[in-house]
Amino acid sequence: MSGTAVILTAILVIWFGVLGYLVTLDRKVSRMNGKGDPR
Amino acid sequence: MSRSGMLKGLTAVLMTAGIVLAFTYAPTATRPNFSTGAMDPWPEFRIFFFHVPSAWVATLAFLVAMVASIRFLMARDRRHDDVALASSELGFLFCALALVSGMIWARHEWGAFWNWDPRQNSVLILLLIYAGYFALRSAVPEPGRRARLAAVYSIVAFLTVPFLVFIVPRIMESLHPSPIIKSGREGGVMDPKMRQVFFLLMAAFTGLYIWMLSIRTRMERAIRGVGSI
Repeated sequence: MSGTAVILTAILVIWFGVLGYLVTLDRKVSRMNGKGDPR
Repeated sequence: MSRSGMLKGLTAVLMTAGIVLAFTYAPTATRPNFSTGAMDPWPEFRIFFFHVPSAWVATLAFLVAMVASIRFLMARDRRHDDVALASSELGFLFCALALVSGMIWARHEWGAFWNWDPRQNSVLILLLIYAGYFALRSAVPEPGRRARLAAVYSIVAFLTVPFLVFIVPRIMESLHPSPIIKSGREGGVMDPKMRQVFFLLMAAFTGLYIWMLSIRTRMERAIRGVGSI
């Protein structure tokens, strides 16, 4: 695996981690404000 | 799908595509090697695709914080204060990202993470000014007074942004690269593929900022709602 591929994979892993966190936080905040699914 | 759902989906797609295209579609930059006369590949250039959008979002966020602060002082509506706080936090975060990505670049290009370059110094001062904003907020216990003082501070703090971001690095000798987006004698021409990826990531970072601003603002409102029970 070349250095570029390693950096690309690392950035994608970080980005998907951030994305997952934002989606979870968004749902949680919607529930706190009385909107969104009430799970 | 709601407009906010579309923004989130679009941000996720644009950012993922932008990251992949920055490493696969955008050509590797080259630069002259003065000892051999040949053009050497310059892969470190790719940090530019993430560094400049971070700096752009930081400037945008500080501007939004100032506008929200002015609106708060005019209307005395706490929702504007929520936006000002959220935007200042995001501006601080993206400014720190721009500084760190710039330091990684500096380590590779200039030989050290920190070179006391005017651009590095001015961004560090900007971060310290906005750190003062958070210190001020945490030092005033009464919510109404805290919001008023923070709004005035935010407006004064933004007055330094054009000076520190645009003027200081241009009037002092700096190692920082010149603008390369426009063609011209000073900066050269950016490859069309690089330009496409660059603007894709600018849009993705802007969408990410709007999404994060929405989450943080709603969170502040929810916290205030709980606090007032």
